[in-house]
Amino acid sequence: MKAIAPVTLAAVLTGLLSMHAAVADQLADIRKKGELVCGVLGTDEPMSFIDARTRTLIGYEVDLCEAVAKKIGVSAKPRQLAVAARIPELQQGRVDILAATLTHTKEREAVVDFSLNTFVTGQRVMVRKDSGITKVAQLAGKKVVTVKGGTQEPNMRKAVPTVEVVTFETAPQAFVALQQRKAIGFVNDEVSLLDAFGKLGPAQKDYVVLTESISVEAIALGLRKNEPALKTLVNDALRELETSGQAEQLFFKWFGPSSRLKYQTRNFKIDSDRI
Amino acid sequence: MPHFDLAAVLTDEFRGWLISGFLLSLELTLIVWLLALPLATFTALCRLSSLAPARWVGFALVEGIRNIPLLVHLLFWYFAVPELLPESIRAWLYEHNAEFICAAGGLTLYTAAFMAEDIRSGIRAVPITQLEAARALGFGFLASMRRIVLPQAVRIIVPPLISQSLNLWKNTSVATVIGTAELMYQAQRVETASFRGVETFTLTTLAYLSVSLIITALAVWFQRRYPVRTA
Repeated sequence: MKAIAPVTLAAVLTGLLSMHAAVADQLADIRKKGELVCGVLGTDEPMSFIDARTRTLIGYEVDLCEAVAKKIGVSAKPRQLAVAARIPELQQGRVDILAATLTHTKEREAVVDFSLNTFVTGQRVMVRKDSGITKVAQLAGKKVVTVKGGTQEPNMRKAVPTVEVVTFETAPQAFVALQQRKAIGFVNDEVSLLDAFGKLGPAQKDYVVLTESISVEAIALGLRKNEPALKTLVNDALRELETSGQAEQLFFKWFGPSSRLKYQTRNFKIDSDRI
Repeated sequence: MPHFDLAAVLTDEFRGWLISGFLLSLELTLIVWLLALPLATFTALCRLSSLAPARWVGFALVEGIRNIPLLVHLLFWYFAVPELLPESIRAWLYEHNAEFICAAGGLTLYTAAFMAEDIRSGIRAVPITQLEAARALGFGFLASMRRIVLPQAVRIIVPPLISQSLNLWKNTSVATVIGTAELMYQAQRVETASFRGVETFTLTTLAYLSVSLIITALAVWFQRRYPVRTA
């Protein structure tokens, strides 16, 4: 087996190289077919989902896809993908770019390229207002609650090593524990946390969601590796959205006070691909 | 699937978590046992009493507690009971380890309900003729109980009580649902952090099994050493 391995590897590499040669300029191919096929999830409101009235795919990432298509000078065509199928579909060329709530991770950098971060989310902490806590660092030595099994607990401990974390089977149980004053903070993913905060109704006045995140999760568009022309153009389109203020408008359109999630502020800009 | 590698969950950090969980499980078992035994004895005596109201209290305690799943007990003790307490006691509870105290409270009642029935059965298992014979021989009531009935009853009661202690040891694992940092809780933490479910729960199983086997061995030894004497 050992003797065969290099040969096999060489064959695979040759195959890959020739494939690469065939799609050497993906940007030219996209221009030729006149459309940019964007892989979206379609099940992840408000990133991308199906509009109940028009039966079409809409959402934040669909709008981003359209902006990129406009920059290239072609029409946008969103195509729905399953979560696990995202990267294979991109690699096999069935979609041109991914706009599918794809988190930029170091592990994934080995297989796909990432655009600038298009959405930055993270885990945050809700505290009772009477605790007087305004910064994550003040949670040192205090008790916070969260759900078992996720990255919330390790991220919280990473952010504040001396914090005491108690975990429950479900996030709502942890949230009840906070409301019953069993802890002074409740840690969760930003979107879920804001959703819980929204459900508090008039009791919102007793709670505060700290603006600092304890962890950062950057979502970006996914591109096939080694397509510098397309990548540059995509990033240019995104930068233009930011400088023209359209990116901000898009954010508030889908995540702002009139949306279900009611983000009051936008804590990121589309200007970096750092994670 | 990655290879089975116990070392992956025995790093200093993970081992520390697991050991602290194991110790807390033992501590919980011991404290609950010490609290449950007198409560169980009291409840059993209530049920055997000649006073009807005492019998009702004993009946209500046993049936009310025994017929509700332990999971429900613990969630009730953690999420509902403290809310019914006066503000000052509640504040004190939350300042201290509420997860441990509530788990101990729920487990004590639950365990005591089962132990009470074992104690009651044990006393009832000593034939009434033993008491009558003692009285006929001139022992007073208390002396008859102390010298004749109870020594025989203890031989009958202890094995099922050991068995209840074994149940108690296993039942402490349910306390993970209210955030008590016992062995199961710490095992889930290690699993989440290490992605090594098989190794983590293999170790956890061995930990539960080792203590369980010690308790079982104790029961076997007791039954050999102090067998029930048939009248």
